[in-house]
Amino acid sequence: MSRPRPAVLVLVAGALALAAGTAGIAWAGSGQQVDSIGARPTVTAPTSSAPSSDPDRASDAPSAPDAAPSAPETGRPSPRSAFRSLDRRDATDLPRPDSTPRPERIVIPALDLSTVVDAVGLDADGNVEVPYDVVRTGWYRFSARPGSGEGSVVIVGHRDGVEQGDGAFISLGRLEPGDRIVVTRSDGREIRYEVVARESFAKSRVPLRELFSRSGPERLTLITCGGAFDPAALQYTDNIVVTALPVPGDGSPAS
Amino acid sequence: MVRTTLSRVGIAAAALSLPLGLAATPALAEEMATVSVLHAIPEGAGADIVDVFANGDLLIDNFTPGTLETVEVPAGTYDLAVFGDGQTPDDADPVLIVEAVEVPGGVNATVTANLDADGAPALNVFINDVSRLAAGESRLIVRHIAAAPAVDVLADGEVLFDNLANPEERVAVVPAGDYEASVNLAGTDTTVLGPAPVMLEEGTVTIAYAWGSAEEENLALATQVISDLSKGPEGVPAGGGSTSELPVWALGLLALGAAAVVGAGGRLVMSRG
Repeated sequence: MSRPRPAVLVLVAGALALAAGTAGIAWAGSGQQVDSIGARPTVTAPTSSAPSSDPDRASDAPSAPDAAPSAPETGRPSPRSAFRSLDRRDATDLPRPDSTPRPERIVIPALDLSTVVDAVGLDADGNVEVPYDVVRTGWYRFSARPGSGEGSVVIVGHRDGVEQGDGAFISLGRLEPGDRIVVTRSDGREIRYEVVARESFAKSRVPLRELFSRSGPERLTLITCGGAFDPAALQYTDNIVVTALPVPGDGSPAS
Repeated sequence: MVRTTLSRVGIAAAALSLPLGLAATPALAEEMATVSVLHAIPEGAGADIVDVFANGDLLIDNFTPGTLETVEVPAGTYDLAVFGDGQTPDDADPVLIVEAVEVPGGVNATVTANLDADGAPALNVFINDVSRLAAGESRLIVRHIAAAPAVDVLADGEVLFDNLANPEERVAVVPAGDYEASVNLAGTDTTVLGPAPVMLEEGTVTIAYAWGSAEEENLALATQVISDLSKGPEGVPAGGGSTSELPVWALGLLALGAAAVVGAGGRLVMSRG
């Protein structure tokens, strides 16, 4: 961040501000430029299925039986290869409320960060509701739960606030692949993750559907703002996204 | 229920031709469709173990009541036939059949083998609305495929769908969350199913089937869930811009009280970013 401006420019800038303020011209001021590094895991295509009665074990469910090895009886036509069984389930289980504990605390040693995680939803405009208190973070309650073994666990945090100053995720863009993140759930269990990717997207190009998908392998997705602050739009130009995967053999699924 | 009844219905159903799918786009050869089949004929009704054939080829093997199987099939027109266990189109007549079901590419459909309102076996074809949902929303579809009178479907004690009769369906988009679901005889306080806690997950289509027979006292619910249909949130506004981020000229203007020039400055203070 390069903050101080030469004093001689103040008058010029002040005049420009008249135009910027009224015409909504973005000010490319001091911001956080973050290079992308690493790669997120691929998300698999959605499937249709009966619900799993235990969300914690969703990924442990037996895969769809392949019809090919069955039909041992003589004279039976063999299944046509053109038909591909995707799933076979007992449909009599109802999708029960998810009792998997939610995240309550996040610790990122590399950033010297340890803070509270609230459950957050959506604001009236359909944006993720980031906790007003900028030192707190928010777990998007429609995203996956830590330790479930499937889907994206999304935790959002402010970069900063007008009056409150630095936010919990002010330094998110400094995380590197290999850095550790520990999320503590309401049952006290700690789920450990390791950073695999750090990306920066212009706000109009954030792959939101993918980042928030509950499909695919479990991953922790941390999101904050980045780029330059646009005082006309009252927001930053970019989102910084850090993706982390559960550390193998350390607090994998099941509780 | 006995096999002779099934056969009779099979012949009756053979006269039907069900066009499947509203889309008029001709299916390309390599296009695929997703077809789920729900066995919703209760145990003891002569269909405890069946095989389902499509155009003479085995589609589902050893199918039992309460089971849902989802199969990817090439787009096309299918005759669907249900045979007793171990029987084939070569050596037996189907117990149920529905002919010329058009399956366009990309469609998601569910075929139910169930009882009609009078308790006779029937095949029904439903198109599943798998269009994407706004963040925070969930789509609930309820289908009446039971040998039972019309019903009301209640969520948290409030009537969500009224007077639903076999083989109708109703659709609603509701806020995702946990609900207490129950099914009453239409227009009455007589609860025939539930109340039961049900989770309607965000970005998910939950299809609830009322199946079985009121007379046989084996009414039950079955569900099919189609996940990952959320459009996702609109964005993540996670920065309000601290005063340290404002340029010197902006601070100067604010200090001079030139709020009108900055325009949005007043909102800036309140911004949750």
